[in-house]
Amino acid sequence: MYRVVEDVTQAARAWPIWWRLGLQDVRTGFRRSTLGVGWIFVNFAVTILAVGFVYGALLGQPVREFLPFLAAGLVVWLYLTSSIVEGSSAFVASEGYIKQIGVAPYVYVFRFFVSITFKMLTSLAAFAVVALLLGVEFGWGVAWALPGVLLLCAVSLLLISIFAHLNARFRDAAHVASLGLQILFYVTPVLWPPELLRSRSLGWVVDLNPLYHLLEVVRQPLLHSRPAAALNYQAVGLLIVGLTICASALTWRFHRRLAYLL
Amino acid sequence: MATEPRITLRGVDVEFSVDAEKHRSLKSAAAGLLRPRRTVPRTIRALRGVSLDIRAGERVGLVGPNGAGKSTLLKVMARIYPPVRGEVEVGGRVCPLFEFVTGFEMECSGRDNIRTRTLLLGMSPREVERKLEEIGEFTGLGEFLDFPVRCYSSGMLLRLAFAASTAVEPEILLLDEVMAAGDAEFIERARARINGVMERASIVVFASHSLTTLPEFCERTIWIDRGRVAADGPTREVVRAYEASVGKGAGHAAAVAG
Repeated sequence: MYRVVEDVTQAARAWPIWWRLGLQDVRTGFRRSTLGVGWIFVNFAVTILAVGFVYGALLGQPVREFLPFLAAGLVVWLYLTSSIVEGSSAFVASEGYIKQIGVAPYVYVFRFFVSITFKMLTSLAAFAVVALLLGVEFGWGVAWALPGVLLLCAVSLLLISIFAHLNARFRDAAHVASLGLQILFYVTPVLWPPELLRSRSLGWVVDLNPLYHLLEVVRQPLLHSRPAAALNYQAVGLLIVGLTICASALTWRFHRRLAYLL
Repeated sequence: MATEPRITLRGVDVEFSVDAEKHRSLKSAAAGLLRPRRTVPRTIRALRGVSLDIRAGERVGLVGPNGAGKSTLLKVMARIYPPVRGEVEVGGRVCPLFEFVTGFEMECSGRDNIRTRTLLLGMSPREVERKLEEIGEFTGLGEFLDFPVRCYSSGMLLRLAFAASTAVEPEILLLDEVMAAGDAEFIERARARINGVMERASIVVFASHSLTTLPEFCERTIWIDRGRVAADGPTREVVRAYEASVGKGAGHAAAVAG
């Protein structure tokens, strides 16, 4: 356990490296386009509009409520997806550095965390625009979004660590995971409001899904300017504990052998 | 760093698994559970029981045929490969100069790549900005520094990496058979620069096939053969013994001094 803490803190102390590399990744991703980082914004807005109108009509939801709901949910969902899908290449893509320079490899986990989180914050800004345009009323309770987003970030960082290690060892881990995510997407209330299932006494489908609780701790403050239910926070706490155990175990098992695995 | 730079290895073993690829995917790992095959995993013992002690002020050469373990040993000293068995203690700021042409951000400009590399090698952001001009100058790449490095030739990449890597003031400098590419003019300047860094570094470990240049640089040389320390002592004696063994055709005849 001490070894794991050491691996992480050593890299954390080298923050100028991963901070810079992470922001650089954001910039290079959009280097050859005029809109630049604005693409994240446009991309997100177009997705929401397209999906929003179709599903809103399909589920008989009023657009004014459904679009912000969808936007907030997608912010969370897309963040989790890219944490797994992009984050899984944290070590594999950094092979050139890992085999040449003996820097604590967690640096590359943080690097991906910075770029992925930056993109999430941009899409959060897009949510704010959508919400303001549709006249969502914000009260002081919206401040509850801050702890919500912080919890979400913790989950993202842990997911990146888990899948970066797994993918260094098993190169198809990310594919398997994104397959799993696709299935999860249909049972998780991102596109449809959880109340729809509850009204059909299928509430347990959402209640047993940790991702639902994660969505709620971000979505409730953003949409209704109020904290999520206590149960939501407890479930997210449990999720974070579980993920921390996974990430520590994988770090303990694979981290020092990364140069051999790549 | 309060302590004096030093490198201590005690009984270091490094092994590479040849069959690490056997279960490179979860799919094949799952299939392996269902249909277990009883094969002994093949391993290459790259280093076997290597013990050595290098203290501040020493310049050490590494000789040995290809595949003897010189590069692996350097990577153990650079904390890249943790040993399977044994202990490694390395105190001091390490700068590894290995293959130069990996580890670029292809979409980024030359200047950005200099920043990245120097940061990774342990420079502080302020130090990087201060030295950026000087490093850029040394590359001789001029306006190309603002171009993304995917437009660079391999010689230009080498110049960039070399200039950035040697700008760090390391306490421990690890060199692996550098300067294979680059044009004549650059090689000349590179040599002068390496000499400068070597003089300032406290410890230099230098793997080379060039038996004529070794005595110029190092008073001590370690001869690595098949993962073991075959000899460790004053350069002239070790090189003579090594040459004799190569001359006799014993061991690996392919390892002709370059």
